[in-house]
Amino acid sequence: MTVQDSLLAPDLPFPIFQISQTVRRYLLYDINTVTWLRRTHNILGVFIGSLPQSPQQNVFFGLPMELQPEEATLLVEKGLAFIADDFRTHKQAVRSPPRAMANYKATARKEALATAKAVTKQKQLKTQEVLQRLNVRQGTPDADNTVDNDEPDESIFDTSTQETSSRPVSSSVIPYSSTPTTSYPPIPTPSKQSSLPLPEVSASSYALFKHLHALGYFMSPGLRFGCQFSVYPGDPLRFHSHFLAMGHDWDEEIDILDLIGGGRLGTGVKKGWLIGGAVKNSDDNEKHVATSEDGQSEIGRKPGDFHVRTFCVEWSGM
Amino acid sequence: MGDLQPSALTAYIEASRPVGVLPQDSHHHALAAQVLHNLQYQHDWTDLRIHTDSSHSARPLLKPLVSGLPPHRIYVHPDEQIEMLKQSVQEKDVPSEREWVLPTHLRETWSLRKFAELFDGIDPVPPAENQASEEKPPFPTAKGGIGSRRGGKRLMLATVGDDSTVVYYVVHDGIVKPRQN
Repeated sequence: MTVQDSLLAPDLPFPIFQISQTVRRYLLYDINTVTWLRRTHNILGVFIGSLPQSPQQNVFFGLPMELQPEEATLLVEKGLAFIADDFRTHKQAVRSPPRAMANYKATARKEALATAKAVTKQKQLKTQEVLQRLNVRQGTPDADNTVDNDEPDESIFDTSTQETSSRPVSSSVIPYSSTPTTSYPPIPTPSKQSSLPLPEVSASSYALFKHLHALGYFMSPGLRFGCQFSVYPGDPLRFHSHFLAMGHDWDEEIDILDLIGGGRLGTGVKKGWLIGGAVKNSDDNEKHVATSEDGQSEIGRKPGDFHVRTFCVEWSGM
Repeated sequence: MGDLQPSALTAYIEASRPVGVLPQDSHHHALAAQVLHNLQYQHDWTDLRIHTDSSHSARPLLKPLVSGLPPHRIYVHPDEQIEMLKQSVQEKDVPSEREWVLPTHLRETWSLRKFAELFDGIDPVPPAENQASEEKPPFPTAKGGIGSRRGGKRLMLATVGDDSTVVYYVVHDGIVKPRQN
């Protein structure tokens, strides 16, 4: 880890905000955390923030970022994060000491006033520039007009400009309303004590997710390909995805038609259809635990961890 | 109305009905015979045979498997594809490889456990009927070179539809990156 990386790393464990108790969604609001997760932990998430002025927006989303339940679970299990109750955190933050809030408001107002002043000044400078130019152009051929030139020319512009220009910039300038893009100066980070239980994930899909993640793959939601995860061999900005992954229970009955459909879909988009899941009874598969097919060392596996087997389906071309 | 003759395929399946007690159901053997027939007469595979027992453990196979030699290479690993392009080797110049074929019907269901058991019971390369056919003119088959087998165990998933259509898909054991067709 370079010095820069460690500087940008968030304070661990960082909060993942869970909004709503019924349809649980896991959000991140801090861009540093988001970029750090992507760079060092292969966690992609999905940006869901759109601009208020374009409600039809469906590309180029921004913060907040929504995590898949599997991603949130993995981060919590690794001890990097904890789940914070967004509702409670927000309520507490709003009830934060009045002085801090007042300070914040004062700062915001000061900034807004400064912006307004700067804009007014800019306007005045522009007006004067234009006036001077007009003076120079009209003044040279007709010397008589130079005296009363100022009056008619200025009247072209609306009187309000004249009024403000006659006076120095003063407190009469109406402060701009400022919309802060961040809210974290006054809102304290929630404490780890208030952490919520782990997200609910299906055991089969989580096992597959964890397995692929441990092998260094990046996973994004696979809804657009009718699978659970699109699996990328590196950052999706640099690589196309290799697999369309589907988690299954060890004894789950998989329709042959689904395998064929998945294989055909995958081959059509130059990907493989990958099925996988956690091995149930280990007595048959001890051999595989010892020599994992991908050469990944099994050292450091906790006893609760599971071995995962995967199969890839491709169209044969005949 | 003359006598209705069974179709050539039905006659073939009837004729290849195995004798004696076998570890798998007879309808699976009929399915295997149908796939074998399809491979032989539609896809020009040679040296076809049906396997009922695992090649390295005493346990019988979950389902009867077919193995055979396709007329040309069925599966080319993407890394090998790149090397072949670099060295401008034609695909027809690379010797074909013996393949495992798993006969299934479209209405079957399979599970991860079944696939795992099946893969555990087979060798990467199916044993040939006669050893002579295995002794192909050796291409420079250095490990990882062109012509060497890559990508771990694999089998062809042959699925028979109700109209006797057979489709073939490659199933790999483990994570094998896809081909760039």
